[in-house]
Formats: sequence, C-alpha cells, structure tokens
Amino acid sequence: MNVQIDRAVKLTRGYWFVDGFTEMTSGGFFVLLAGLLLFGRNASPVTFPSWFLSLAVEISILKFVGILAAILILWWLKDHFTYPRTGFVRGKRVTAAQIFMITRNVILFLLLPISGLLAASLFIASTNSVLASMPVWFPIGLGSLWAVFFALAGEWMSLLRFRIIGIIHLLVGVAIGIWQSAIGLPTSPAKIQPGIVQAPILESIQRTLISLCFLILISGVILIFSGLLTFLRYRKENPVPYTENG
Amino acid sequence: MSSSVQKISGLNRVIHEPARLILVALLSSVESADFLFLLKQSNLTKGNLSVQLSRLEQAGYVLIKKTFRGKIPHTEYRLTERGKSAFEHYRKSLGSIFD
Repeated sequence: MNVQIDRAVKLTRGYWFVDGFTEMTSGGFFVLLAGLLLFGRNASPVTFPSWFLSLAVEISILKFVGILAAILILWWLKDHFTYPRTGFVRGKRVTAAQIFMITRNVILFLLLPISGLLAASLFIASTNSVLASMPVWFPIGLGSLWAVFFALAGEWMSLLRFRIIGIIHLLVGVAIGIWQSAIGLPTSPAKIQPGIVQAPILESIQRTLISLCFLILISGVILIFSGLLTFLRYRKENPVPYTENG
Repeated sequence: MSSSVQKISGLNRVIHEPARLILVALLSSVESADFLFLLKQSNLTKGNLSVQLSRLEQAGYVLIKKTFRGKIPHTEYRLTERGKSAFEHYRKSLGSIFD
C-alpha cells in the first residue's frame, strides 16, 4: 500500500507533464532560442566586456519573453484541453526562501565560475588554454548537468521518459564535444592584451556559443518529440471531456 | 498488550481507511485539486468519493472551496494544516510498526 501511495504521490507531482504540453512548449521555446542565437545576432565584438554584456542581456530578454509566452500558452491549453478531461490541480507554492536558494545556487555554482573564467582569461595567460578548450568541455558539462536535472526530475515524479531524456542529453553533449574536438581547437594567444578580444579567444567563444545553440536545438527537438508522444497517448486515453454521465 | 499492538490500535482511523488514505496522500502532494482529478486518480465512484471527502471535511482534514471557472461551478479540495500533520503522523506511526 505504501509503495502504491508513494507512486500516486509522485505521479500527482508530475501531473503538470501528463499531457505533453509542457514539453512541447518548452521544446518549441528552445528551438526558437537556438535559432535566434544562431542566425539572429551580430558576432563582431569590439571589446570583450561589451560583447559579453550584450550577449547576457540578449539571452536574458529572450528567456524572459519566451518563458512568459510559454506559460500563457500552457495555461490556455491546459484550461481548454487537460482540466476538462482529467481535472484541475494547483501545484504547491514555491516559497520566497526556496526561490532565493535556487537563485543563489545557480549563481554560485554555474554563473560565477563561468564568468570568473572568462574574466580571468583577459589577465591570466594560463586560463587561456582552458578557454581555448571551452567548445569541448562546455557542451559536455552542460549536457551532464541537464542529464542530472532530468534524472532527478524523473525520479521525483516517477517518469521514466525524463530519465531517458536525461541520458540522451548526456550523449548529445558528449557528441557535440567530440565534434568540436575533431575540428581542432584554437591555439592560445602568446601575448595577452587586457580588455581586447583576441582572435583565438573570440573563435573559442563563438564556437562555444555554436555548441550551446546545437545543444539547445537538439534538446528542443527531443522535448517536442517526447511531448508529442505523451500528448497522443493522453488523447487516446482521454478522448473527450468528462461529463456527469461519465 | 505489546507496544506494536498498541501502535496499531493507535493508528488514525480516519486516515487508515484505504479510500481516505489515497485521497489524503494525493492532496498532500499538491496545493489543491478538484473533484474530477481526485475521481480519476483514486478510481472511486462519485458517490463514494463524495462520502469520503465529507468524512475528511468533518474531521477537519480537508477544506472545500467552491468557486467558478468562467460560468462553470468548480470545487477545490485542500488539505488543512491539521490534515497535513495527521497524515505525517500516520506515516511515521505506520513506519514504526514495521521497524
């Protein structure tokens, strides 16, 4: 009984993903984001700080607008399709303390090390070799991070497909890393000129960005595919809205 | 009377009933849920579900909120603090019996 209850609780946590809409919407957003980053930006930086700042602002705006649009689309879809079929659930509220903890961890363990490394590369010659190999380790690292995230989410909500998606993300990250390594890495510049983006560093950053775009793009396609399969199964199981007569 | 027998007899009988146990467990993992969701997830009949929810409401474990979604009446069920605490205590008690 306890095992069944635990499973019911886990599946209830995952109710937000029961219809596949969340995956399809997030996947669509990822594909758009990758497309805009790949084709819609000017890659001719004058100075490193201004280039990095413009990229950060651009990604932040895209994410904010995209996530807002995705949430509105999701609400509408669920209100008109899912809730009339299998019912309405209000998820547990995330407290301010939890939001603070998540934000702090993302800044501490993800953004600060990457920003620090990029900033250090302007002044310390030895970090340039690390920066030069960034097109290889960045997609592998990010793919691994997403794999862990999906595996944990799959365990928390008892969703097998999330664990599979996690494994695929890891494989895709490694594949992109191998691809970048096979092309050959840019060599580190012999002389450091603080504040100025030098050609090898610029090449490394641009190739990392391309790696990131491919990872986001493939991730988006995987999510859309997974969401579509989930949606088709959900629609088959719940073809019409529930009525009083059953 | 042995301590394990005492523990069994001390279990919360409102929650111990299987239909109510599954309802409390489902509600424990969300902020609130509507009748249709509980009906689909619990596999109970509508009549039985109504009776069990009323019983939980009488015990002060579930709060019923009637609202409208557009023009359609909508009833949401939420576990009260008392209900959460009773469920947590029940889980611990049940676990300690088998330890």
